[in-house]
Amino acid sequence: MNRTSNAPYAVLALGVALLLFGSFHGLAVAPAETYMGEVQRIMYVHVPTAWNWMLAVLWAFACAVAFLFTSNMKWDSRMEAGLEVGVLLAFLLCCQGSIWAKPTWGVWWDWDPRLTSVAVLLAASLGIMALRSFVDDPMRRAVWSAVATIIASVDLPIVYYSVKWWNSLHQEQSTPQTVDSVYHLPLRVNAFGVLFVMIGFIWLRTRVAALKLRQETAIPHTYEEAGELA
Amino acid sequence: MTGVIQGGWEFVIAAYTITGIALVVYGISLIVRLKELNKHD
Repeated sequence: MNRTSNAPYAVLALGVALLLFGSFHGLAVAPAETYMGEVQRIMYVHVPTAWNWMLAVLWAFACAVAFLFTSNMKWDSRMEAGLEVGVLLAFLLCCQGSIWAKPTWGVWWDWDPRLTSVAVLLAASLGIMALRSFVDDPMRRAVWSAVATIIASVDLPIVYYSVKWWNSLHQEQSTPQTVDSVYHLPLRVNAFGVLFVMIGFIWLRTRVAALKLRQETAIPHTYEEAGELA
Repeated sequence: MTGVIQGGWEFVIAAYTITGIALVVYGISLIVRLKELNKHD
């Protein structure tokens, strides 16, 4: 695939269009929820952000495993992209959740299992990104961060099952099976919107990582195809 | 006390605004970084 193709921008534009439509529907068309009232409308951005953050973490994990098996630097570029976009989504997830928590729980933050496990993974991802910036040797950096990413990803199932395993403030997962059908459309449209935006971001960020690596190593053609999403 | 949350639009607007701003700022940062790297490539 061409390193300068406009495909990621098209994916990004599709995601933005879906997000605008889904958010308009969620804010102006869908009815307010019986008990949470208008505040429940935060669900249409919070839940899609959560689903896609988990996908970003899974992507980084898969790239880390692929790198350790192949030693191909293109997987390192992809992992770096997944990590950074994952940090963005985790940050948004915590902000949205905090804003939703204040009117419904009465506090901005609570150290309940779901929130704590998300915060741990966010901190771990930031730590891995910091680690990458401290290591000069590209191969050593890639190996260390791949191993760290795999270890950090152990927290993902804990995040997912935390609301089932422990009694906590956080409600169980919101899915089309657990919410009324009148809320399905904005939830689904925004889920695909965040998904396409995330793919576009990871795609572009992979190019950034691949270009940085190529300039860092200054060996033309060695990493020519590094970072391209095949 | 009815158990129903009254109002709350300010929280909804805050959540959507933060989300929009973060996505736009990150998107712009990606494009700027790509342009800078392409210039030196």
